Amino acid sequence: MHKLVFGVLMIVIWWMLHAMQIDEEIAIGTLYEGKRAINRAAHAAAQQLDRNKLEQGIVSIDEAKASAAALSYLQANLRLQEDLAPQPGSLLRDPVEIRVFRIINEDVQFPYTYINTEYDFQVTLDRPGVVLIAHMAYPRLFRALPPIEWELKGAAELVF
Amino acid sequence: MKQLLVFILFAAMFCWLMFSPVYKHVLVIRQALLQQEVDYLLEVGASGRYGYIGEAMVAESRERLSGYGFQPGKLEYDISSTEGTGGTDASMPLPRGVGLKLTIRYPYEQLLNIDRLIGVEPPDAHSRMAASGMKMSEYVP
Repeated sequence: MHKLVFGVLMIVIWWMLHAMQIDEEIAIGTLYEGKRAINRAAHAAAQQLDRNKLEQGIVSIDEAKASAAALSYLQANLRLQEDLAPQPGSLLRDPVEIRVFRIINEDVQFPYTYINTEYDFQVTLDRPGVVLIAHMAYPRLFRALPPIEWELKGAAELVF
Repeated sequence: MKQLLVFILFAAMFCWLMFSPVYKHVLVIRQALLQQEVDYLLEVGASGRYGYIGEAMVAESRERLSGYGFQPGKLEYDISSTEGTGGTDASMPLPRGVGLKLTIRYPYEQLLNIDRLIGVEPPDAHSRMAASGMKMSEYVP
């Protein structure tokens, strides 16, 4: 009898280890997916040239268009709804929160070094650009383990 | 004799229990490879030099993926743009501001059939694993 109990216990432990391993592999995949989505959102936001200022010879980013572009690219790449909550049926469970969305425009001296001590982020831009930091939580399988969540940071500058 | 039989039975059962979930890693890796390919194609296709993902790029991508054990004929490429059309034509690249969308799909094949032994139904033959992405084109005419 005790051998049978031991056997069943072994099976349960072994499969839990497998589940944990696969969960962590998927978490890493999700981390990369999130980072790419942030990069693409920052990239899309940084391409929104302000046409009116360009006529005067000033290269600048249109702030309203930039934030709309960043949101729509974030939604498309991470399959989110309008309020950044995940669409039904997608892997994520908690909404993505945008912590920092900073547009660096022509009012600073380039090359400009953006430093954010709160999120430990530093980037040097040669042209107007966008810095985007968002928080994402992975729906982990085992509630007993510490939460798996990231502050994803990305920056992009205007390409021309 | 009875003990020997029990030993063989248990040994076989433990081997199966230990190694059957390993097949799941193949699924995770395939998914990651598809995603990597999508990223690469988007990075190149949306760059200032191209602004599209053409037939030749898709053919090269199939070849790359077949090196990892994918069957090139079963890969499905779905290329579109935020304007609804275009994205594949080299003579009409997408201008800056338009998003290039790419989805690559691949069937699960027989990968999860072993799960039938523990009563879990594998995904049906029509469902596909997919990786997708959208990136804004940098092409300026």
